[in-house]
Amino acid sequence: MNKRVLVVDDAAFMRMMIKNILIDGGFEIVGEEENGRDAIEAYKDLQPDLVTMDITMPEMDGIEAVKAILDLDANANIIMCSAMGQQAMVIDAIQAGAKDFVVKPFKPDRVLASINKLFDE
Amino acid sequence: MDNNSQYLQMFFDESAEYLQQLNENVLLLEENPQDEEIINSVFRAAHSVKGMSATMGFTRLTDLTHKMENILSKVRNKEMQINEKLIDVLFAGLDYIKDLVDDIKNNGEELTDINNYLIRLENVLLNKDNDDDIQENTNSKDKFADVSDEEEIIEDFEKILGLSKEEESDLLDSMNVEDLLYNIKVVLDDNCLLKNVRGYMVLKKAQELGFLVKSSPSQSEIEDEDFDLSIYIIIVSTLDKETIISEFQDIIDVKEVKIHTRDVKNKVDIATESVNKANDFTSSDDISNNDHVTPTNDISNNNDLRSDDDNFEENISKVNSEIKESAKTDKEQIIESDINKKTEKKKAKKLSNVQVSPTVRVDIKKLDNLMNMVGELLINKTRLAGLNVDNDVYQDIILQLDRVTTDLHHIVMQIRMVPIGGIFNRFPRMVRDLSKELNKDIDLLIEGADTELDRSIIDELADPLMHIIRNAIDHGIEIPELREKNGKAKKGNILLNAYQKGSEIVIEVEDDGAGLDKEKIIEKAISRGIISYDDANEMDEKDIYNLVFHPGFSTSEKVTDISGRGVGMDVVKRVVESLDGQIFIESEKGIGTRFIISLPLTLAITQALMVKINNEVYAIPLNTISESHLISPKEILQVRGQDVMVLRDSTIPLVECARKLNLDIEYGTYKEKEEVPVVIINSGEKQIGLIVDELLNQQEIVIKSLGNYLLNIKNISGATIVGDGEVALILDVRNIA
Repeated sequence: MNKRVLVVDDAAFMRMMIKNILIDGGFEIVGEEENGRDAIEAYKDLQPDLVTMDITMPEMDGIEAVKAILDLDANANIIMCSAMGQQAMVIDAIQAGAKDFVVKPFKPDRVLASINKLFDE
Repeated sequence: MDNNSQYLQMFFDESAEYLQQLNENVLLLEENPQDEEIINSVFRAAHSVKGMSATMGFTRLTDLTHKMENILSKVRNKEMQINEKLIDVLFAGLDYIKDLVDDIKNNGEELTDINNYLIRLENVLLNKDNDDDIQENTNSKDKFADVSDEEEIIEDFEKILGLSKEEESDLLDSMNVEDLLYNIKVVLDDNCLLKNVRGYMVLKKAQELGFLVKSSPSQSEIEDEDFDLSIYIIIVSTLDKETIISEFQDIIDVKEVKIHTRDVKNKVDIATESVNKANDFTSSDDISNNDHVTPTNDISNNNDLRSDDDNFEENISKVNSEIKESAKTDKEQIIESDINKKTEKKKAKKLSNVQVSPTVRVDIKKLDNLMNMVGELLINKTRLAGLNVDNDVYQDIILQLDRVTTDLHHIVMQIRMVPIGGIFNRFPRMVRDLSKELNKDIDLLIEGADTELDRSIIDELADPLMHIIRNAIDHGIEIPELREKNGKAKKGNILLNAYQKGSEIVIEVEDDGAGLDKEKIIEKAISRGIISYDDANEMDEKDIYNLVFHPGFSTSEKVTDISGRGVGMDVVKRVVESLDGQIFIESEKGIGTRFIISLPLTLAITQALMVKINNEVYAIPLNTISESHLISPKEILQVRGQDVMVLRDSTIPLVECARKLNLDIEYGTYKEKEEVPVVIINSGEKQIGLIVDELLNQQEIVIKSLGNYLLNIKNISGATIVGDGEVALILDVRNIA
């Protein structure tokens, strides 16, 4: 069965980007959210295999959301979607328990490499 | 990345939204320079534009937004003050973004030259940050030396990461029998992005695998991206070599892992030199420039979201203290510095709670189609209802169908409704720029921005409103000195207000400026040959103000480039009327001027009174009708040769519809009838009575355009399909009146 992914980013453009990459990579997109708070709710409802999480978002940022989701499910697989210049925040997110990160602009092979590595283990 | 059109469209839509948001927020920022929420939302929006641009491969946009983001980041960290100059620079940046996006839209590539602006941004950054920069430079210069790519890992370690005697002995004491001491060298890939985060992940992995004794670069150096591609780590672990290698290799971007199980007891003597070594590497001039880091990556160093917590001095002391302290305290220190960093970052992380409601983006054409289909459904429902079948089940179904179609219609209407704020929000920026240019001091107040209107109407309204506001700024509001002289507040006010009134939306633009000068208007109108002296004497206030809408009219003595040459006001009126709306002016000399625009809620479907004229069915939109009467011919009076009727003490002129429609029949025959149907029409302040042959029923009609060919038929505004499938023309009663 395809792995189920929840995509979180406040920019619809970015969501579409990563969705297309993931769909091409054989993943199933089960949900899209545009802020951290909604992402937490969606995680409860959908129980996805993977979350791609943007960092700067209104309402609640990605790092807070990572912490909250890991509180709900310590085994949650979360990959941060970061842009240049957000190093410190990515480190925070990794420290909080995010499994990996990908850098915008997304390169499909790198995104898929990161994700597949998660599921290989 | 292929710029395929699907992405492009979304890119345009979203960048326009972010631009709007940025314009609004920078404006807010000017007023509330200390508001962190606003700074954060500006930062986020700029960041999003950068992300999208980079993804689409628009390098100029990416560079531009990146530099702007750097400045915003400084502002956010309180390293830079918000002042007028900075706001101007930000606004200029927004204009450049818009230009570049327009370039892409129109020409498919970025054409606008932004180099000068980038230099300007750079200067802004440097002005405030001279000190920081110098420090940064010395910082990187004096950091440890380039790590050679030597195969011999032990030598590397002796050079880079020697342990002191105390460290060694403490370490040995703390080690259990099954513990192994590993020297590990992890090399990251040349193309690694955000290598500090990767480095951090490497360290984190090391901590998971065992006890991290020491690393070079240290954790803080890694976090500051102050290292080449190699990371040297000493850990104590019970795991075997192979497991450790594979664990590290599982991290993305790790190119190679070299490992050496260290014989601790035989290496004690290395430690003696360690203090000197440490000093060596902090003062060495030999920096390695990483060729593989992209330019954006380089810039991103400035952009570290935190304030630089470890400057050079602190760094030395950190290295020294690391060496002095035992391995255990070393680890504690890492944790400690993490905590410090976290509290520091908390400050920057207070993100604002701007409400963004979830939306679905739909092409407006699809909504038009949907509206059309609902219209067809309505027509057919009306036809079905008109069949008059005497059957309870049938009647029940018709009733249900009626309810469903009405609901459906309302829902579609709702979907098409958008808040007028979408266009109102463009104006604060315009008012700011214009008033600055004209040396005027003007406040723009916006009320009722959440009032909703049909999308197609809103789109048309932007330009007329813009023009009215420009006029208010240019001609309406006086310069501060003059205002003061006339006993007014120095600061002028423009109020932009929208509200719903019955089935109409009213939009007002009010200023507290000089007001319209009636004499001047009349003078101008006469000199331009628009009216004669005789006309002027008969004109009331309203008529005079309406002259402003006459093509080629301008009350301004001086033509400025702001409100143009008198073209515009007539266009404003034309646009409003094409939307089935009306525009009036109220003004008082010395007090101010108010433009009032009233518009129908929606254009597509409306309630209408169906009437018969010469055996043809016509529709009269209900929102124009105040009442209808059946009068006897005796009630028809004559005033100056014009048929009139008296209704509640007011005299209403009567107009025979057939005559207005140029129907080929004998006019005036209504006077021979027993009763004459009259529809009272409200047009602005004017009332007229339309004489028709027969009043039929009231029903919902779907307004269809007559198409380009028949567009200019006088007194007909469109057509609709009625119950029996016949076409009925819609009377343009405002024009008739």
